[in-house]
Amino acid sequence: MGTPGWSARPVLACGEVRTCLLPSFQALDGRAAAQLLRLRADEPVRVSERPNLYALSPDVLTGVDCRLPTSNGAKVRAVGTVAARAALTEGRVLQATACFSAPATGPDTRRPWGHYLVRPGLVEPFGKLPEQAAAEGVLRGGERGELDLGMIAESLLAQLLRHPLLDHKPPFKSRRTHLRWAARRAPRGEGPSLERFTLAEDGLRTVELRLPEETPAAAAAGLCEDLALHDWLLTTVVHMLDNSRLGAVDGPSAVLALRPAVDHLLHLWMPRAHVDRTLGHLWDVLEREPGFTRQWQTLVQRIRDQLAVQAIPLLHEALSSTR
Amino acid sequence: MLVFAASDKGGTGRSVTSANLAYHRALAGDDVCYLDFDFGSPTAAAVFDVPDARQAAEDRGLHSYLVGDVGEPVRIDVWSDTEHRVLRNRPPGSGRLVLMPGDLSGGEFATTEDNLRRCVDLLLRLNSEFDLIVVDLSAGRSYAVDMVLEATSQREMRGVEFRWLVFHRWTRQHVAAAASLVFGKRGIVAGGVARGHEEEALRSVIRFVRAAVPDPESALWSQVSATQSAWMRECDRDLKQLASSHGIGYSLVLGSVPLEPVLQWREQLITDEDVLDSQIANRETWEALSELAGRLTDDKYWEQA
Repeated sequence: MGTPGWSARPVLACGEVRTCLLPSFQALDGRAAAQLLRLRADEPVRVSERPNLYALSPDVLTGVDCRLPTSNGAKVRAVGTVAARAALTEGRVLQATACFSAPATGPDTRRPWGHYLVRPGLVEPFGKLPEQAAAEGVLRGGERGELDLGMIAESLLAQLLRHPLLDHKPPFKSRRTHLRWAARRAPRGEGPSLERFTLAEDGLRTVELRLPEETPAAAAAGLCEDLALHDWLLTTVVHMLDNSRLGAVDGPSAVLALRPAVDHLLHLWMPRAHVDRTLGHLWDVLEREPGFTRQWQTLVQRIRDQLAVQAIPLLHEALSSTR
Repeated sequence: MLVFAASDKGGTGRSVTSANLAYHRALAGDDVCYLDFDFGSPTAAAVFDVPDARQAAEDRGLHSYLVGDVGEPVRIDVWSDTEHRVLRNRPPGSGRLVLMPGDLSGGEFATTEDNLRRCVDLLLRLNSEFDLIVVDLSAGRSYAVDMVLEATSQREMRGVEFRWLVFHRWTRQHVAAAASLVFGKRGIVAGGVARGHEEEALRSVIRFVRAAVPDPESALWSQVSATQSAWMRECDRDLKQLASSHGIGYSLVLGSVPLEPVLQWREQLITDEDVLDSQIANRETWEALSELAGRLTDDKYWEQA
């Protein structure tokens, strides 16, 4: 199929995940989650209830014909489709991902759209793909006129947020996070690896991966959604603790400020729950350094200790009044 | 909560006062976002002392976002980007203070289906992120006013609480003009009702703010003659009467900001340092702003008048 020497096997997969609290007073149950994420009439929403409630939308495609962002200024035009999907965890945390994969080389002319439509989520460069520069370009973010995965994820998120199921009365205010990821092909014979995870300003995180040829982009997207979800939980609870001014103000007000964490967030921690089996172990890297679960447990313990400390005077009061 | 800052005319202190309110709320610990929807003449960059905002908003500001040129409007973290000596030291316990500047080149524009949708998306998104969102609207019955009236009437926005502040100066002309901006034939209430707002509900979320009000009892006027002083008192009394006959009397006033020399000379944030250390600004101004900031979300001041 196609030009000699040109293969559609991808050497690079990139994506961006946006994570936010579902702006609804109550968490959605499985049925409502499926209703929210029903982006296409022809494909169902996948809902799983074990080990936690998780709903994943079908992919929607966006046709693109524009320059790829590159870190070295190389101008590479690319044509194809970007796949976008949304996930809802425990009816509480909403995520939208836009991602694509790209082959090492593509044809020098644009094909009819039918060609691209049968390759969903594949974006073909004109000529040779500068793999490293393109990966770095995506992580850095596109300039105007370049492929902007964040914008595609954002517009999917905006579409979902207009859904009549949502009352826009979130139980607490929180920031979104953006996680950009790029996965280059691992050297032959080597397994998947997580090369780098960075926290940048303004809620931006980046992940660099190396994946064997047979790993589908959707599996990488799933892993990165899982990382983004847990990073968002850490970010949000840390911010909540900062704002509560624990230790600076007395009485129950600081603890009351933490109540939403107890009600809505503490039960969401479950790394790897929906990650492809071949990629689950990449979490180990983050557990060692910086230690995601270690930080989470410390935060949870701190909140529970504060609640306990606040409860002592109440208990005391109750006991003395019964006497 | 969304707070829309409107005014009948320019020069009413709308931008500078609403920026000060945003600042006070952030000091008190709220996460606050200030949107410059004054498309004709964006001033927020100057008030918050963020020169970078002018650069950044060259073509990535709110205007570019609403017309669809960029996917997201630029955000400026005031605490970290300001050149203001005092603001740079973010006080402990304060909330975020984010400015979304307008575009330098952006003028007025008509509300189309697409920019309306973008406006709704933006307000929904900010609502889930910030405790308070202050939207500074261009003066008069501008496109900006129409757009937010339209946006807040959309089904998606039903759960989002919003309030209006109408700023006017304490003169006969301004009092009459402010009343007509809200209750006139082409006013905010009529415009809102035409877009599907319920009249009673809309009326109940509109309050007036009297800006640059000279207080005859203030030390500022202690040197004037007895005749002048009597004349000022009389004017003040007449104005109060006029305001109430226009239907914008005491019960609809959220607060007044006294005439403040610093603000007459320069649009800026009044910091506690200006009041306590350098003493260039009046304590009354600081207190009035602080009180007003508190009343924004105090339901006692928003019960049916």
